[in-house]
Amino acid sequence: MKFIKNHLMFILPLMAILLGIEFFLVFDRTTDTYEKGLKEGYTMLVVSKKPVELATFQTLNRHISSSEQIARDGIVSEVAKGVGKSTSAAIIKALPYFYNLGLDAYLKSSELETIKKDLKSDTNIKRVETFGGSYNSSYRLFAFIKFTLKLFIVFMTVVSLFLIIKQMEIWKYAHKERMRVMEIFGAPLMLRSGILFKVAFVDAILASILVSALFLYVKFYWAAQSGIDMMVENQEVLFRVTDMGILLGSSLLIVIVAVYSVVFSNKGVEE
Amino acid sequence: MSNVIHASNLTLSYDNGEKQIIKDANFSIKKGEFVFITGPSGSGKSTLLKSLYGQLKPTEGDLVVGGLNLTNIRQRKLQELRTHMGIIFQDYKLVNEWTVAKNVVLPLMIAGYSTEIQDTQARRLLKHVKLSEHADKYPLELSGGEQQRVGVARALAKNPVVILADEPTGNLDDYSSNVIWDLMENACQQLDTTVLVVTHKIPTIFSLPYRHFIIESKGVYEVH
Ligand SMILES: Nc1ncnc2c1ncn2[C@@H]1O[C@H](COP(=O)(O)OP(=O)(O)OP(=O)(O)O)[C@@H](O)[C@H]1O
Ligand SMILES: [Mg+2]
Repeated sequence: MKFIKNHLMFILPLMAILLGIEFFLVFDRTTDTYEKGLKEGYTMLVVSKKPVELATFQTLNRHISSSEQIARDGIVSEVAKGVGKSTSAAIIKALPYFYNLGLDAYLKSSELETIKKDLKSDTNIKRVETFGGSYNSSYRLFAFIKFTLKLFIVFMTVVSLFLIIKQMEIWKYAHKERMRVMEIFGAPLMLRSGILFKVAFVDAILASILVSALFLYVKFYWAAQSGIDMMVENQEVLFRVTDMGILLGSSLLIVIVAVYSVVFSNKGVEE
Repeated sequence: MSNVIHASNLTLSYDNGEKQIIKDANFSIKKGEFVFITGPSGSGKSTLLKSLYGQLKPTEGDLVVGGLNLTNIRQRKLQELRTHMGIIFQDYKLVNEWTVAKNVVLPLMIAGYSTEIQDTQARRLLKHVKLSEHADKYPLELSGGEQQRVGVARALAKNPVVILADEPTGNLDDYSSNVIWDLMENACQQLDTTVLVVTHKIPTIFSLPYRHFIIESKGVYEVH
C-alpha cells in the first residue's frame, strides 16, 4: 500500500507535467489550423476604378496573399433586372471593380489599418473595407487564451517539479541507511543511488504510457463521440506517434534532473 | 615489513577545528598486526577509526593508509581504498531489507563481481561464520551475535588489507563475543590481515600477540 502511494506521489505530478506538454502540443496544432482558418476566411473588400493585378496589390502591401475579383456580371444582372441591354452595358462600364483580398497571416488591427492606408495610396483604389471590429476582439480573445494556457502549463510544471523533488527526498531518506552502508564499503555514487534511478525510470515510463493512453483514448473514442466540431475536425492532430517519444523523452529528462538534484544535494551523508 | 597505517602529528577535530579530539598523535601499524585500542568513553576511539576509513579528514598532520594520504585524498581514491577495508560496527550496520546472503557479499557487489561468484562466495562466507542455514533470512530475524557474524563475514568478503572494528562485541554476551574474537584472530593469522579493534575490554582468552594503544587526553599512547 505504502509502495503504491509512494509511486503515485511521483507518477501523478509527472503525469501533470506530461499532460501539460501534450496539451501544449495539441493546442499549438489545433490553433494552427484555427489561425489558418481565420486567415483564410478573412478578406478585405477593395473597390477600384480600373482592374488591378494581384502583383500590384502586393507591391502596395506584402501581407496580401490573394485577390479575387467579384464577378461584375452577376452584380449588374441583379441591379439591371428588366433594363435594356445597352443600359446594362452602360452600367457595367460605370461600375467599379470589386476585389476580395486574402491575407497571409493573422494580423493585429493596427496592421490592418496600415494595409488599408497602403492600398488607399493608390489613386486607382476608391474604397477599402476591413472588418476590424470583430476581427480585433476575436484575435484578442485568441491571444489571451493562448497566453493563459501557456502560463498555466508553466505554473503546473514548476509546482509538479517541486512535488517530484520532494518525493525523491522522501525516497532518499528511506534508502539513506543502505546508501550510507554502501558508501562505507566504497560504493560509488551511481551504485549507491542506483535504486533511485531505477524506480524513477520505471515511473517515468509508466507516466508516459498512461498519458499516451489517455490521449489515444480521447483521440479514437471520445473525440468522435463528443459531438464537438472542433474535436471531430481536429481528431487527426490530437495525438501523434511522435508525441509518445516527446513525452517519454521529457519524463526521462525530468526524472534525471530530479534524481541528480537530490543525489548531489548532500554528497557524503555525514554521521 | 611495510606500514599499513602511519600517522604523524595527526590532529582530529570536529566543528571546523574548534572541537579538538586528538592532537599530534604519532603511530605506525604494520601488515598483519593485531591492535587493540582502548580508552575512556568520549576519548575519541570512534573518531580515530572514522579518520582511518576516511569519514573524517585530519585537521592537521598526515595519516597514510595503504600508501594513500587521507589528508588530501580524492573521493574516487577513497572509494577504492574502502574496497580494501573491512569495517565492523557495534550496531552491525547491516542492510535490513536485504537477505543475510546479500549483505555478506556487498563488497563483492561493489567490486562488480558476477552474481554466480557472489552466490558461491556467500555460501563460503556464511559457512565460515556458521550461518549457512540463515542465508535467506533477513538481519532482523537473527540474534545480535548472529548479526555481528554477518557483519564479520561481510568485512572478510573481499580479503581486506585491513579490518577496522568499533566495539564489535559491545552488544554481545561472552559466548558470542568469543566467537567474534575467534573469527578476527583467524583472519589475522590465516590471511595476514591487519586488524584494529576498538574495545573497552580486551578479551581474556586471546592467543595471538597483539599491540595495545590507549587514547587519553587527546593523545594516542602504546602500552608495552
Ligand atoms: N559528529 C560529531 N560532531 C561533533 N562532536 C562529535 C561528533 N562525534 C563525536 N563527537 C565528540 O567527540 C568526542 C569523542 O567521541 P568518540 O565517539 O570518538 O568517543 P569514543 O571514544 O568512541 O567514546 P565511546 O567509548 O563512548 O564510544 C566526544 O566528546 C563526542 O561528543
Ligand atoms: Mg565510540
